[in-house]
Amino acid sequence: MGEVLSILLTGAMISSVYALMALGFTLVMGLRGVLNLSHGALIMVGAYAFFVANQFLPGVGALVVAVVVGAVASYLVYVGLVRYTEEDLIITFMVTIVVALALQSAATYFFSSEARSLVPLVAGGVHVVGTTVRLDEVLAFCVSWAAIGLLYYFVTETRTGQAILASSMSRRGALLNGVDLGRVNAVTWLVAGALAGLSGVFLGALQSTSPTMWADPLALSFIIVVIGGVGSIKGSLVGAYVIGFLQTITSTVGSSQYRGLFALVLLVAIILLKPEGLFGREFVE
Amino acid sequence: MSSDTTTAGFDVGGAFDVNAPQAVVAVVAALGLLTLPFWASESFTNVMVYAGFWAVFAAGWDVISGHTGYISFGHSLLSGSAAYATALLVVKVDPHLSLFVTIPVSIGAAVAMGMVFGLPSLRLRGPYFSLVTFTSVLIALKLIDVFSGVTNGHLGMSGIDVFTYDTTTFYYYTLGLAACVGAVLVVVSRSNVGRVLLAINAREQTVEEAGIDTTKFKLWAFLISAITMGFGGVFLAHYYGNVSPANSMSVADSILIIAMAAVGGTGSIVGPMAGAYLLLFLRDVLFQNWLGIGSNVRLVLLWAIVVVLLVAAPEGVFVRLWRWLGDPRGGGSRG
Amino acid sequence: MAESGGLLAVDGLTKRFGGLVAVDDLSFTVERGEILGVIGPNGAGKSTVFNCVVGQYDVTDGRVTFADDDVTDWDTHDIVNAGLARVSQHSRPFDAMTVRENIHLFTVPNSVLAFRGGASDEAVGDIAALVGIDDALDERPPDLTHEYTRRLEIARALATDPELLLLDEPFAGFTQEEVRDLRASIETINDDGTALVVVDHNMRGLMALVDRVVVVHDGALLTSGTPEEIADDDTVADVYLGETGDAS
Repeated sequence: MGEVLSILLTGAMISSVYALMALGFTLVMGLRGVLNLSHGALIMVGAYAFFVANQFLPGVGALVVAVVVGAVASYLVYVGLVRYTEEDLIITFMVTIVVALALQSAATYFFSSEARSLVPLVAGGVHVVGTTVRLDEVLAFCVSWAAIGLLYYFVTETRTGQAILASSMSRRGALLNGVDLGRVNAVTWLVAGALAGLSGVFLGALQSTSPTMWADPLALSFIIVVIGGVGSIKGSLVGAYVIGFLQTITSTVGSSQYRGLFALVLLVAIILLKPEGLFGREFVE
Repeated sequence: MSSDTTTAGFDVGGAFDVNAPQAVVAVVAALGLLTLPFWASESFTNVMVYAGFWAVFAAGWDVISGHTGYISFGHSLLSGSAAYATALLVVKVDPHLSLFVTIPVSIGAAVAMGMVFGLPSLRLRGPYFSLVTFTSVLIALKLIDVFSGVTNGHLGMSGIDVFTYDTTTFYYYTLGLAACVGAVLVVVSRSNVGRVLLAINAREQTVEEAGIDTTKFKLWAFLISAITMGFGGVFLAHYYGNVSPANSMSVADSILIIAMAAVGGTGSIVGPMAGAYLLLFLRDVLFQNWLGIGSNVRLVLLWAIVVVLLVAAPEGVFVRLWRWLGDPRGGGSRG
Repeated sequence: MAESGGLLAVDGLTKRFGGLVAVDDLSFTVERGEILGVIGPNGAGKSTVFNCVVGQYDVTDGRVTFADDDVTDWDTHDIVNAGLARVSQHSRPFDAMTVRENIHLFTVPNSVLAFRGGASDEAVGDIAALVGIDDALDERPPDLTHEYTRRLEIARALATDPELLLLDEPFAGFTQEEVRDLRASIETINDDGTALVVVDHNMRGLMALVDRVVVVHDGALLTSGTPEEIADDDTVADVYLGETGDAS
């Protein structure tokens, strides 16, 4: 019983962080079909920003810093580079790779290539029904869902948010309705960056922080978005939970070698049976 | 300016409709490549040996992605499948299997993998296809890891017969391979099939309204591409003598192929091949050997240059050059 | 109002985009060799109907029958190869190819082994001549006039050798003289045996051209009849109130 509960709790927690990660990625991709390879690097930026800020600020303050830095970095990538190359998928892809590699080089230069664990926001644990739950995992879960709730509110209730959703469904339709696409793009990248930064803090604490940490989250984001469907918030949530729980179950019950296998089997099934993802749409110009 | 190509049928005349400056440059380049081992250093030549493989990969990528616009981010899956098939045959079945067996089987493996991922995903549009191809490499890497009892995981398998250890000889092997592949793919590209593929990139619905089954043509291009990548993958295995995820099934390699093709000029077959030679020259001869730049910076620098080149010449550096040679006074040449 | 027979039979066609009903239980037929006019105000759903017929959109409900085949769920290329071609109201030529190459592509057989093949230079020239653009064969679409671009669209569709040709707003943007010339071309095409459907948003261009008229409004069939009947029909005139130009 303790083990089942432990799986449920850990799974729920890691899934919510994965959801944050995937949401940022799918928002940007849903807009213009942009495959943002710097997404993983922005997660890394969030982790390191927290690390640095935590030297001067308490956990909460450092968290805020990480979110802001992630958002700003993402915004700069868009405004400084991607905005000019958006029309061409290949060039944009290359540009985001350069950003990712440059950020990795910078991280190696400033922080050395060793992996570190970030100081947990909240220390200690709590005993629940025969298993110990780490408080910082609980915090990660709560904060993640708060952020997801905020995001949901944003895209359904605010004008800008609705514009983002609309633009991801049909660019022409959005334009015809007077949506300022430039602004929508900028805001989307800002939000995606904030989500990346936030997830970076948790991933950096719960897993580890290093200059090469951006590759795995990026790959996971891809997988989650393929399963859930591009541009679909619901899809990213569902996909994140499926992947998160699959990972948790297989690493608790099975050997680590099989850890990613079921996720991949599911991925293959989705690709073969429903390539646009569980909740995805066909990409409309 | 009337072209003397016939539109009905085989367009080889158009491909070789060159003017004097273009001819001169082409001949000089060809001569340079043919005589390279005699004027270049050993390390330079060595780089150009495996540049030949990359030229094959870039051309293989171009025939599907460069022409139709369906950008594959996982093309090393195809070459890697062939390489691993060869390794598995040699190491697990029989080290003395004839090339007449291993080569067709390996290429068959590349085609099979291509169809597994290509068939369902080619009916998707745009970024969906790209996403799926990217994840296909991740899946293959995971499978190699999961079945590491057989594949030896990230350490890879060795014991493949290296064709020759002489750099000069291997250089001509890969140059020959690249030339043959290039010739075949150029013929495909300049034929009706190539025109259809390019038109699919411009507007797929219109091609459908021309009575052409676009899915069928996309699959055909993918098949040709998979066979090309398979050839390259097999020869690569016989170059390294061993096969591992790092040298055969790498995500970074998939992306580098795209960069080579884009820099060279997608849709032209020859452009991507030239792009392969150029980028590898930059990375491994100029930056590494001649300027001694460290590996971390080298990578960032290479990609930065790729971006600059793409922004400056979106149609491709070599395509731009060829067109300029064809009509130096401007007005756009019909490259 | 389903009728059997006829070359093209649209039966109860409905197309919904989410909550929007673009085509509402529409039925009409096209007889072999006739010229049918389809008119209706802007936004009536005329183009949507033909996007469905030609397989670009999936229909929500209803059936499309062409030459006795149920083509409702067919892919576009199969429909075209069965003899139904469409010229969209938006010109979409391949800008990187010459006029000759554009037309030739539409004659390339649907086979991956067709490295050569398709119509000869002469045949392509004949098709171009049919719509009067054979003096621009080596030009590229960005350099063509609006009239020539539209005629190229028609030439490409003709190159597929259709039994039925759908023309969506072929006269849009034409001068009076260009309209007259195109009308003559359409009549020649019809004389060769090809049935035509001509979509327009008013009657002016169609009066003398078409055999029958179908009027579409808000995605549904309003009425149908001979051009004279439609020109005199008050309900049709009402629907056009606020539009510039008479219904006649």
